[in-house]
Amino acid sequence: MQQRRVVITGVGAICALGHDARTTWAAMREGRGGIGPLVGFEDQAMRAKIAAQVHDYDPNQYFDAKKLPLYDRVSQFALIAAREAVAQSGLDFHDAETGARAACIVGTGVGGEVAHDDAAKRLYADGNPRLHPLTVVRIMPSASTSHVSIEFGITGPTFGVTSACATSNHAFAQALALIRAGMADTALAGGAEACISLGCVRAWEAMRILADDTCRPFCKQRRGLVLGEGAGMVVLEELEHARARGANILAELAGAGMSADAGDIVMPSERGAACAIAAAMADAGLNPEDVDYINAHGTGTPANDPTETRAIHEALGARARHVPVSSTKSLHGHPLGAAGAIELVAAIGALREGVIPPTANFIDPDPACDLDYVPNAPREVPVRTVLSNAFAFGGLNAVVALKRAP
Amino acid sequence: MSDDLQKTIFAIIAKEANIDESRVTLDSTLKDLEIASLDAIQIIFEIEDHFKIQMPDRDPNFDTESVRGLVDTVQKLLADKAAHPPAPPAAGSTPPSAPPPAAA
Repeated sequence: MQQRRVVITGVGAICALGHDARTTWAAMREGRGGIGPLVGFEDQAMRAKIAAQVHDYDPNQYFDAKKLPLYDRVSQFALIAAREAVAQSGLDFHDAETGARAACIVGTGVGGEVAHDDAAKRLYADGNPRLHPLTVVRIMPSASTSHVSIEFGITGPTFGVTSACATSNHAFAQALALIRAGMADTALAGGAEACISLGCVRAWEAMRILADDTCRPFCKQRRGLVLGEGAGMVVLEELEHARARGANILAELAGAGMSADAGDIVMPSERGAACAIAAAMADAGLNPEDVDYINAHGTGTPANDPTETRAIHEALGARARHVPVSSTKSLHGHPLGAAGAIELVAAIGALREGVIPPTANFIDPDPACDLDYVPNAPREVPVRTVLSNAFAFGGLNAVVALKRAP
Repeated sequence: MSDDLQKTIFAIIAKEANIDESRVTLDSTLKDLEIASLDAIQIIFEIEDHFKIQMPDRDPNFDTESVRGLVDTVQKLLADKAAHPPAPPAAGSTPPSAPPPAAA
């Protein structure tokens, strides 16, 4: 029996580049960044001076006052991105049959950190032993998943996934597998993160891998990563299901590849990353010469970028030098568990419009990073297929392969 | 003072890297001592905590710089601190410091 094919019929996002996928993509294709001074911690002496935060955001515009107390910032982002994706797809999951045959896989790297911080401050700093009664449901890492399922009436397989910075791609891989296996016909899948809380930023400061100027992936002057936040969500649908209802197909989620380094808790392995890239290509039936664009993990840390470069060489061989590779984290920062989902906006945009978003803030090449990184300026070129990489702390790797709408 | 400081730093390095203190010399680099980056940032953390100082993010260079560089940096930061004592915090602005984390 032929394998069921899975397509994308809706996409939504919120991040430092904009409050919807359209605005986010417009910024990406122009190479307009969202990294700026860290806001919200003016009473603290922060080592982290910059971040890619969601600005001009008023949750009251999106949520009614009665419901808002239920949501940590991470769940708010998940819902906003999900609304956009669902609206674009035209699917109504509240229809009992549609909802029952739908999966909802929403991941996060760190969960309800803002609520967690508030609770910790109350408890330890203010010496107040009484926590808000909704603390548990705000903090639980699956809260975003539940809220998305509740709002849209998705009653099929629904759970969160977590793999730090690879979370979103693992969510896509999981949803893809469920639809292929016939356990669902559609899925709402993605990732959300609201990691710019005092506790979380302090923890990242302590790792000494935050850049103090900006995010400059793959270039010699790179000084680390820049924290971001936001969410990305897609509606996935079995191809014939989408065709039968005349849905507008944005792209095909053609494959996914996953691996674990089983090595170090922080240092990435080129072998593990290469395995995931190769597995995604094999799953999507792609040869190296078929790959037109790679949206890199490209965090801008000293360790990631050369390792990812070597992994791309290993997986694509001679083709590696001819494939444009860019890191949009130079624009939207690193939203951890939401990274892969926001980067999928770049992948879909590149496929649909034939424009590769640049690696911004690029100064001089690093001899250890010798690929074509599309520095600073977007590039117009036909794109038939895209690989989107995500490699997490702890060696958890997930790569997805996209093709143009069939 | 300097000897004490050196001894304290050697002890922190040995403890965090789980190596014999006799291996640590002023000329050894973290690389010589086979100290991985995760251990290195823990060493910096313990030194900062012990001396109540803040080391710059990229100094010392974990791979190439020697323990001497680390000692010199700490010495300089302590001298700066002695010359410019921080202003006392405004009343109520600083929560009591948390207890040190339990050893992992």
